[in-house]
Amino acid sequence: MRKANLGVAVFLFLIGAIVMYDAVRLGWQYDPSSGPGAGFLPFYLSLGVLLCTSVFIVKQVMQLSKIGIVGDEPLIQEGGLKPILWVLLPSTAMVVLVSIIGLHFAAAIFLLFYMRVVGKIGWLECILVSVLFPVGMYIVFDRLFLIPLPDGMLGNYIKLPF
Amino acid sequence: MAENFHSLMMGISVSMQPYNFMIAMIGLVLGVIVGVLPGLGGANGVAILIPLTVAMQPISGIILLASIYWGALYGGSITSILFNIPGEPWSVATTFDGYPMAKKGHAGKALVLSFFSHFVGAVLGVIMLSFFAPLIAAFALRFGPAEIFSVMVLTFSAFVGLSGKDPYKTLVSIFIGFILAAVGMDIVTGQLRMTFGSIDLMGGFNFIVAVIGLFGLGEIFLTVEEGLKLEATEGGRVTFKDMAWGVKELIIEWKALLLGCLIGCWMGLKPGGATPASFMAYGFAKQSSKKSDEFGHGASAGIIAPEAAAHGAGTSAALPMITLGIPGSPTMAVIMGGLMIFGLLPGPMLFVEHPDFVWGFIGSCWIGNFIGLLVVLAFAPLFAAVLKIRFAIIMPIIVYVCAIGAYAVNNRVIDIYYMIGFGVVGYLFKKLDYPLAPLVLALVLGDMAESALRQALLISGGSPLVLFAPPIALPIMVAAGLIFFWPTVSGLIKKARMKVGPG
Repeated sequence: MRKANLGVAVFLFLIGAIVMYDAVRLGWQYDPSSGPGAGFLPFYLSLGVLLCTSVFIVKQVMQLSKIGIVGDEPLIQEGGLKPILWVLLPSTAMVVLVSIIGLHFAAAIFLLFYMRVVGKIGWLECILVSVLFPVGMYIVFDRLFLIPLPDGMLGNYIKLPF
Repeated sequence: MAENFHSLMMGISVSMQPYNFMIAMIGLVLGVIVGVLPGLGGANGVAILIPLTVAMQPISGIILLASIYWGALYGGSITSILFNIPGEPWSVATTFDGYPMAKKGHAGKALVLSFFSHFVGAVLGVIMLSFFAPLIAAFALRFGPAEIFSVMVLTFSAFVGLSGKDPYKTLVSIFIGFILAAVGMDIVTGQLRMTFGSIDLMGGFNFIVAVIGLFGLGEIFLTVEEGLKLEATEGGRVTFKDMAWGVKELIIEWKALLLGCLIGCWMGLKPGGATPASFMAYGFAKQSSKKSDEFGHGASAGIIAPEAAAHGAGTSAALPMITLGIPGSPTMAVIMGGLMIFGLLPGPMLFVEHPDFVWGFIGSCWIGNFIGLLVVLAFAPLFAAVLKIRFAIIMPIIVYVCAIGAYAVNNRVIDIYYMIGFGVVGYLFKKLDYPLAPLVLALVLGDMAESALRQALLISGGSPLVLFAPPIALPIMVAAGLIFFWPTVSGLIKKARMKVGPG
């Protein structure tokens, strides 16, 4: 996990640097006529991030050079990456689909896909859940509480009949 | 005092109105289900339902949100005891002794002990809320921007000094939270900050989306990585005999109960939240018990202390939220976000401007926790059956519901992308031991802290000394400094004692 620790710290350091750059652009000093500028707090926040992550990076590098990577526990335990990707990639695909065919239809496809392909659940159960649950959500949110959920680009062409 | 008592009675009667009562029941049942399901916790359960409350009266809305929290606090222990799967992070400590006790065939007894301890913790928390909240709010009316800022510094230094985690990681979490809060349009100057020309970033990051991603998806990634194994135990039905035994056991183990309650209330106030409170209480109860070798094999005290602490922390977390506008736990932070959507700004003025609302909320804490106890006592096996549904069905449904919640906050599709991004960040941070609670709290309090700081500096003409102005800000800042460096300070105290020597 030491490599991942170092990687994340470097990444956060970069974020700190970007924020500091923007804070300086916005004006980070106290202006006697208008008070603290828009970049005032962000400047000190990014300074804090830069300081903390650099201390952390130095400590990590020193530790790494002393003990080395041997015996280091991996970030993701063995066989753990596959199930994570099986959740992450289909969910991302669902979000992409949301802007095309709307949330409920995208979710129905996502439910069907995950239950059938990953969960290996029987067809009948899969179809029942992936139809009834989005319909229930549609009734609760769009109809009862009048919170319109995204229709997507094809929203005008595919509509539920109620 | 008599006046407060009168207000409290009024508040209880508000929360007993049929509509509000029904809302509380719905919230509790949903909350227990949220609590039972791993991957769907109190914070993101509340966050998902915030859009639904917008159509309600503010008081009914907050009753719904708070009831979900109470339900989730109760519900997390059910699966800890019956399946050895903590439904919530704050019920992890319950698995240490609750599951062994259930395995011996005393599932009903373990459940009773857990629910009763929850209730006692809740009552102490609510008593504190009812009687100290008006006092603190009245005192806090004297706060100016500098004092408000100093209270926030105190809050965040508690995370650094008392959490026991790597201070650098905690600090980075806090800073990142504040930075995320600053993205978008600056409310004072109207300048665009850290948007880099992107229109999507102009709207900033909503903390509800962050909570759903960090706690919801992040938790799901962790769950699927480890794989979910069900080791169900028999039973789970609660009989009257179990209840009588439970009461007796609570009286015998009164020390563990009291310890749990006190640690819980302290952790709720400071703020730390229910999860560290339960671990701390378990540790202390084990240390101080004469039968410490029984711990881990089904000791009653090992259930009582963490459970009382978890619920005590959960309820007392409402106290700083409602009086100072500083939530004591991540879930309270989300509930506070709900209040802000209603246009109610938590803080001392809330007591002056909307007393009916505040007391209605406090009243519902009494009612909600009491009904919650009855609900879980009666239906524990039913709720446990939810976990018998295969995870491959529950998991995509949770992701779907999370997506609805993330979208409905601002009606933006980009928020669902952010949610997935926050999910990955939540997973990484959890794995690498960056604390998430301070990040969320910083994201919630970001705007308030920044405007307090800017106003204070404007008043003083740019001198930072205003943040240390006596009589109120100075002692708070000194306390913050002490707590921030507590690991060092306590080390020095120990050394000094060693030098003096015993006697």
